[in-house]
Amino acid sequence: MLSKSQAKLFFLAGTALCAGLFLFLTVDTMRKIPEQTHEANITPEVERGKEIWDKNNCMGCHTLLGEGAYYAPELTKVYDRRGAEWMKVFLKDPQAMFPGERKMVKYNFSDQDITDLIAFFKWIGEMDLNGFPPKPNLHMTSSAATGPAVETPAKFKQLCVACHSLGGAGGNVGPALDGVGSRRDLAYIEKWLRDPSAIKPGAKMPKLALSEAEIKEISTFLAGLK
Amino acid sequence: MKYKSQKIAYWFFATCMLLFSLQIIYGFVMGFARIGMDGLHDFIPFNAARATHTNLLVVWLLTGFMGAAYFIIPDESGRELFSVKLAWVQLISLIVVGVVAIIGFHLNYWEGRKFLEIPRPLDFLVVVNVLMFIFNIGMTILKGNRYSTTQLVLFIGLLSAALLYLPGMIYFRSQTMDSYFRWWVVHLWVEGVWELIMGSILSYLLIKLTGVDREVIEKWLYVIVGLTFLSGLLGTGHHYYYIGTPKYWLMVGGIFSALEPLAFLGMALFAINMYRKSGREHPNKISLYWTIGCSIMSFVGAGFLGIAHTIPQVNLWTHGTLVTAMHGHMAFWGAYAMIVLAVITYCLPLLTGRKLWNNLPGLLSFWLANIGMTAMTGAFAVAGITQVYLERKMGMDFLTVQKEIQIHFVGLIAAASLFTIGAILFIYNFIKFGLPSDEAIVPENTSDEALYAAKRG
Repeated sequence: MLSKSQAKLFFLAGTALCAGLFLFLTVDTMRKIPEQTHEANITPEVERGKEIWDKNNCMGCHTLLGEGAYYAPELTKVYDRRGAEWMKVFLKDPQAMFPGERKMVKYNFSDQDITDLIAFFKWIGEMDLNGFPPKPNLHMTSSAATGPAVETPAKFKQLCVACHSLGGAGGNVGPALDGVGSRRDLAYIEKWLRDPSAIKPGAKMPKLALSEAEIKEISTFLAGLK
Repeated sequence: MKYKSQKIAYWFFATCMLLFSLQIIYGFVMGFARIGMDGLHDFIPFNAARATHTNLLVVWLLTGFMGAAYFIIPDESGRELFSVKLAWVQLISLIVVGVVAIIGFHLNYWEGRKFLEIPRPLDFLVVVNVLMFIFNIGMTILKGNRYSTTQLVLFIGLLSAALLYLPGMIYFRSQTMDSYFRWWVVHLWVEGVWELIMGSILSYLLIKLTGVDREVIEKWLYVIVGLTFLSGLLGTGHHYYYIGTPKYWLMVGGIFSALEPLAFLGMALFAINMYRKSGREHPNKISLYWTIGCSIMSFVGAGFLGIAHTIPQVNLWTHGTLVTAMHGHMAFWGAYAMIVLAVITYCLPLLTGRKLWNNLPGLLSFWLANIGMTAMTGAFAVAGITQVYLERKMGMDFLTVQKEIQIHFVGLIAAASLFTIGAILFIYNFIKFGLPSDEAIVPENTSDEALYAAKRG
């Protein structure tokens, strides 16, 4: 049977061996991180963005690289998912973007702060994360009988789906957009996108920073959803 | 209690009770926010509640470890504490730092890194505080007349915890580097050196409660802490899967994390076997409940639920979801909260001299808190697994999924209420014991025997 001194030896030898291996792997990891995370792309904006991220304890609600709290969305790929324009509008007044929904603190960020944060998220989004976050692999079957007449505009996939759903995919803050073309015509949708509250005072949907071309593209797409 | 200076432990334990209650209140703030009742949002936003909840936990557990050390070390080294005054200075300054940090959280003053939210200037005060503690304990051991394995392991655990706080204070431009060394503090604490502290307190309690030969218990303590480091050091790898670190961590982390439950399984088997071997019947049944319960709940919460989501293929989907909260709650409760509560229930009769063994509130407290925590873990599990499937596997929108799982937080609040009744009963019992008293001091080596006599008589 094991004696006390053998047990002690097991503890000391095991710990020394594992600590040694851990330090060795750490040194190797330190050598590889700069390339894997594109450290060369850390500009002063990115660095300031990280500072804003830390100073406001964003990890207290959100996750980044899957680390943080689980009260608000994962932000690793937010730059791809929402795009810079949406983030600019959102960060100015988060609660205006999702009225009556779960709240984010309004931090009164300056335009520079917002630019820095977006740069930070862009850098994070470009890292090689060994396959995280994974792409969904169970697909919902769409209940929308007729597919869209035109190809889905890129801006629609970033901006609109944050609140609206189409074929079951997207947010449920605003109404679903399936068949919106049979309820509203092109001119109405265009006007609505330019300024929602001009048509319906007190409308919950914020005025988005869209170019005229983007408005045309999205309206045509939506009007085609019959 | 053999030495007058051990009385200081009581005040550390009392601080634990206070911080524990506050921690629960902040837990409720978050629970209600999740079911849409976020009326406190402007004063206590979720990130403040969350940081307060986790930091209070860490501080009350550390305070509990310190209290335990101030009780155990004099007893083990056979002399009075080096300096009671220093212990007081240390307790008061710890509370001051804690209060400043928590007020800071509510005013949006952060370092803002998960679990290490307290701002850098306060970090230095924490370091000074812990150094005072280590000095005090170290001098007591040095000047004492015996070096037991139990106290040595406890000291190594506490000292390494202090040293490992330092990598968390280095500044990095890169989020990945920042995270890499943040886990040196967080992971190597809770899945490394804190297990040393837990194991040594467990050993001390088992020696006292079961009367099994010290040599046998301390031999197994070596095996358990050996297993802890064997698995836990490289097990840090399970935090390095998806943060921009090389792919080999998936394998290293996966393999060594799979070994991590062994240390906890070892602790559970160890505690149960020592209890079976126990030749005497210690009157402090409640402490025995918490001690054995701790070893079992830590295996389920930290060991089993830990491995359930550190397998790389599973973690790819569960990383950054409520599944982590499921594991976190039972792991911290089972491994660390329960060991502190066990040592408190063991020490209270000895500190105060009141022999309130096996009272009903004490037993109820044990059962209600454990059933409540198990149910809470269940609620987090259902919410977490649903979130993984809807959001990660099917790609549904975050807020839509949150509304789907909202109902499970009603369940969580119900379970937490049960848990809270247990906690209230524990604190009620704590207060009922009254203050520590010099009359409770008994001569060397008669402590436990005197208690049996008191029970028979």
